[in-house]
Amino acid sequence: MAACSLIPVTSEDDFNSQTAALPPTCLAVIYFHAPWAEPCKQMNTILTTLASTYEITNPPRIAFFSLDAEELSEVSETYDVTQVPLVVLQRDGKVVDAVTGTDAAKVRGAVEKHAGSSTGGNKASLPPAQKVTRPAAEDTAADTNGTTHGAAAEEEENLDERLAQLVKAADVMLFMKGTPSAPQCGFSRQTVSILRQRKIKYGFFNILADDDVRQGLKKFSDWPTFPQIYVQGELIGGLDILKEELDNDPDFLKPFIQQPQAV
Amino acid sequence: MFRRIAFTALRKPSASMATSKSHSPMEDAMRRKITEALAPTSLEIHNDSHLHAHHKAMEGSVSKETHFRVNIISDAFKSKMQPARHRMVYALLKDEMAMEGGIHALQLKTRTVEEDERVKGN
Repeated sequence: MAACSLIPVTSEDDFNSQTAALPPTCLAVIYFHAPWAEPCKQMNTILTTLASTYEITNPPRIAFFSLDAEELSEVSETYDVTQVPLVVLQRDGKVVDAVTGTDAAKVRGAVEKHAGSSTGGNKASLPPAQKVTRPAAEDTAADTNGTTHGAAAEEEENLDERLAQLVKAADVMLFMKGTPSAPQCGFSRQTVSILRQRKIKYGFFNILADDDVRQGLKKFSDWPTFPQIYVQGELIGGLDILKEELDNDPDFLKPFIQQPQAV
Repeated sequence: MFRRIAFTALRKPSASMATSKSHSPMEDAMRRKITEALAPTSLEIHNDSHLHAHHKAMEGSVSKETHFRVNIISDAFKSKMQPARHRMVYALLKDEMAMEGGIHALQLKTRTVEEDERVKGN
């Protein structure tokens, strides 16, 4: 089964036809962003990861859409979008919730509240995580910090904030080389295999697709290697520690085992 | 003190008997640093580089000392959680891991004397 992805919507007509096609029970997660707003890059990654933990079902239970708030200004007006990033949750044409800002836990909490927790998706053949290159001379319009403590220091702070959110994007977060369906390293592949065997629900991030995260996470985690496994925002360690903990502690990661879903 | 020196000498590869340079500078450095800092009762260093030499990530690499599997038994690990123990070892080998052509991957088993005996089923 394939996993959900964050679907970009490029026109008002497209948005209307996509949402009209959804069954009334389906939850639509609508993400408004603007290309010039720094925090949106982070939210993009968070939502892509979150989407990947939900399997595509027939009929669809949940769908994730991404809209450029400025380009689709009529849609933005309909939803009264005054700031980005904004995530609107809608069912049967009615707005049930909205989350502003970049708090990953808050977004996930809202989605799980309305759609139930994820069905899995660790077999996904997803597009690699967003590549965020260091912006050349980008206007950080969303940055309210007035002091001039240097562009580099500021970028690192933004990256740290972004990482702090990323590690909480799922209860069990795997930072690996490659993706679960195409691991690029033997240790990452073994990790995926162990998690799959024990039916543990997890989100993943391909560090080969984003060098900022790859280097930043080494510092952030104070851990020089990948894969890295985070549980509820805390670093557990790498493959060795995962194996050791699973061998020694029968309850390790038990709360995160996928329960079979009722149809 | 004497015992620790003797332990190190016994474990050194016989290549050191010759007057030529060591063929395993990385492994030697690892052994020396870990022994000095952690006074292990057992230290096994396995060089698995040949298992990964053909992997894409190793393209262009000339080093034969890139991937290691290390088993350390030491009471320096007592009352420390696994991540903390691994970090102790990473800290010791920070330079070797950061250098170009240095250690690329490190598998670690970090146990105290008691834990190791327990695992061995005593």
